[in-house]
Amino acid sequence: MVKINERELTLTNLDKDLYPSFGFTKARVLEYYGAIARFMLPFLKDRALTLKRYPQGVENDFFFEKRCPKFRPDWLETAEVPYGDEKKITYCMANNVETLIWVANLASIELHVPLATADFPNNPDSVVFDLDPGEGADVLDCARVALMVKDLFLGLKLESFVKTSGKKGLHVFVPLDPKRTVFEDTKKFSRAVAEIMQKNYPNLVTAKMNKELRTNKVFINWSQNDPSKTMVCVYSLRAMEAPSVSFPFSWKELDKAAKTKNPDKFRVLASEAAALTGKNEDFYKEMLDMKQRLPNT
Amino acid sequence: MMKEQNTIKSATDPGGKKKSIPQEPASQGIWSGTISFSLVAIPVRLVKSVEPGRVSFHLLHNRDYSPLERKMFCPEEEKIVPPDEIVRGYEIQPGKHILVTGEELESVSPDRSRTIEITEFIDIREVDPIYYDHPYFLVPLKGGEKSYSLLVESMRRTNKAGLAKFVLDEREYVVLIVSRDNALAMSTLHYSDEILPMALVAAEASDEEINIVKKSIKAMMTDFAPEKYSNNRRQKLLDIVNKKVKKKSEVKAPEVEEEEKAEGMADLMTALEKSMRTVKKNGPIKHGKN
Amino acid sequence: MPSTLWIGNIHFGALIVPVKLHTAVSQNRVQFHLLHKTDRVKLRQQMICKFDKTPVPAEEQVKGFQVDERKYVLMDPEELEQAEPESSRTIDVHEFVKTGGIDPVFIERIYYLEPDAEAKSYGALAASLKDLDALAVCTWVMRKRAYFGAISSTGKALRLNVLRYTDEIVQAQSLGLESFELSEKEVSIGSELINKLTVKFQPEKYVNEHQKKLWEMIEKKAHGQKITPLTPKHLKPTMPGKLLEALEKSLNRAA
Repeated sequence: MVKINERELTLTNLDKDLYPSFGFTKARVLEYYGAIARFMLPFLKDRALTLKRYPQGVENDFFFEKRCPKFRPDWLETAEVPYGDEKKITYCMANNVETLIWVANLASIELHVPLATADFPNNPDSVVFDLDPGEGADVLDCARVALMVKDLFLGLKLESFVKTSGKKGLHVFVPLDPKRTVFEDTKKFSRAVAEIMQKNYPNLVTAKMNKELRTNKVFINWSQNDPSKTMVCVYSLRAMEAPSVSFPFSWKELDKAAKTKNPDKFRVLASEAAALTGKNEDFYKEMLDMKQRLPNT
Repeated sequence: MMKEQNTIKSATDPGGKKKSIPQEPASQGIWSGTISFSLVAIPVRLVKSVEPGRVSFHLLHNRDYSPLERKMFCPEEEKIVPPDEIVRGYEIQPGKHILVTGEELESVSPDRSRTIEITEFIDIREVDPIYYDHPYFLVPLKGGEKSYSLLVESMRRTNKAGLAKFVLDEREYVVLIVSRDNALAMSTLHYSDEILPMALVAAEASDEEINIVKKSIKAMMTDFAPEKYSNNRRQKLLDIVNKKVKKKSEVKAPEVEEEEKAEGMADLMTALEKSMRTVKKNGPIKHGKN
Repeated sequence: MPSTLWIGNIHFGALIVPVKLHTAVSQNRVQFHLLHKTDRVKLRQQMICKFDKTPVPAEEQVKGFQVDERKYVLMDPEELEQAEPESSRTIDVHEFVKTGGIDPVFIERIYYLEPDAEAKSYGALAASLKDLDALAVCTWVMRKRAYFGAISSTGKALRLNVLRYTDEIVQAQSLGLESFELSEKEVSIGSELINKLTVKFQPEKYVNEHQKKLWEMIEKKAHGQKITPLTPKHLKPTMPGKLLEALEKSLNRAA
């Protein structure tokens, strides 16, 4: 039983090893989220949270949970958001550290959020370029693609930001003004970018979902720009063998890491994340205040 | 014409499922900005207050049942014109136009394109209904909920309405802001020089005639209950549609490749291609801000 | 007087009032044309088949009602006609209500009514409605469409107010607004401020300045002058914590 911000939380199974090959218990998971909270919360704020729970650890079954558990404490903020054609679902919103800890206590190792806030679910505040390496390609190829699209965007006077997925790929975001943006536009834009990259770099990039067509190429998954889709939140843990984190890189750092030709330079583990964020968090948070507009909208 | 209880609120298909026709959601981007009175500014967005009740049809091609869409056509070159080749102009002489860009239009009244400044309040009973044009609702944006509630409650208490000028698209309107059902409702008004004069009718009826009419009126006085009146045509059309669906006489439109170069896609592709050429030519650009 | 749109007869009880309908509002706006960038030719609209991308003449067009994605039910002209109301010149009055009873949001448009032929019944109706402060709720069919509305009187003249059906009006409740806790102080200052800023309604005061400026801009361009686009003004929203302060400052300014 702990108290965070005057609220009581009962933490359970703290000794359970959720990353058995590596050795990382639930206590460590909670500790990580507690330490990273102040950097992560602005990106979780007012967003409908999708939990990815691994109650028996990363080597066992997981399940996605969108509906905020009924047994939640009454101080936990929720939002009602339409899901597909159905009526609205009640989602948890991690607007404070106690909620983040409560959710992590449910062994929700990964936290996924939509590109729009819960109050205006059809208006994204960014367009995302989910760079996913196919069989035979790796994060270094993704980095090449990321650096190119970054320049492509600068040519359109758009700033962009990049983070690792925490697995094999990279996510590039172009922050937008949600008041002037709808998913229809971001989807069109990201698709156009994916296709033009495929046209100009056919051996490196594909815009097609088809697995066979992805071999040795980086797939730009433009279809993620949809109100029903979620992306793993920055600073979230990933359920890999080791507790890696979806971590932001500055473009300079990404370029540097790419030049080493060592894919490990892109891997940030929980312990490192906590130490690194002291320096870096300011630049990435700028993304939240940028109100750019897509060309021709 | 008077119908009993069955006003149709939304169309249903015979399966009872709610139809998911692609429709413009009411709360999406007509306009967003700030409404203010004196030094209080409230971020808001404009939403529709009226949903057309008419059943709408699509025009289809009788050969393949594909839906039709409106495109702009150049009669001189005899071809469809893509959006990036379309410009707006004002005809100063027959055949001679002055071109105007969207940016220039928005800049004509920069004060008023993103703000609605209430400069005075009036008693709403002084407004002749003939002035009302189109109704909207204002919905507060994040952070503006408290100021919004304050304006709603203060107007309700004083029973006053706010007057302001407002520019939407290329038009300037006088708007009336009222408090209704705990929300801010806004109506555009006509300008007084747009109201046509009504020829005064010198019709004099005798007191006796007037009294007879008054008697009839009094006998038929009641409370206004608009739900009694409904649009029969819609129900009739839906009945016809439902019968056809039951008989399985629907047609299917062919699939169209989504990559249509429509609606600004051409503009976008041009801009992207330009940027792409620079990227390929110059190599990596300096790293922007971060 | 603008041209007559329609002629009808108001009916209730034994009273028949023949009337002519006129528009009450005339908008004069700057009209823009859409032109082809290359040759400045005025563009026309055409219906294009989404599938084969060719223009489709009227004979090849059919009306369909969408029942699902890419699925339509064809409607032929006779069926559509069946759904149309029967033509009639009658404006049927069903009941009367007090003037204050209809919220302006119901009013879609207003027509002036002029007496057609004998004017006495018109005068009697106009005077009666005015004296009793009443409106005549009615229905009629005009140009194959069914309408619902209310007849009002200005004393000597009648107006036909076309009303919207209830299910066409968005209810405020559907907006999902939450009521906010306000202090009595805030509301009373807000109310005082409103009262201080209250004036008589004088619609003639309002002139369409945007139109004027638009004309000026067009003229400037016609004389080859450059236009510098200005950036729209954005007001900084008042934060909830600063609301009381803003209200007090406003009140001081208004005094």
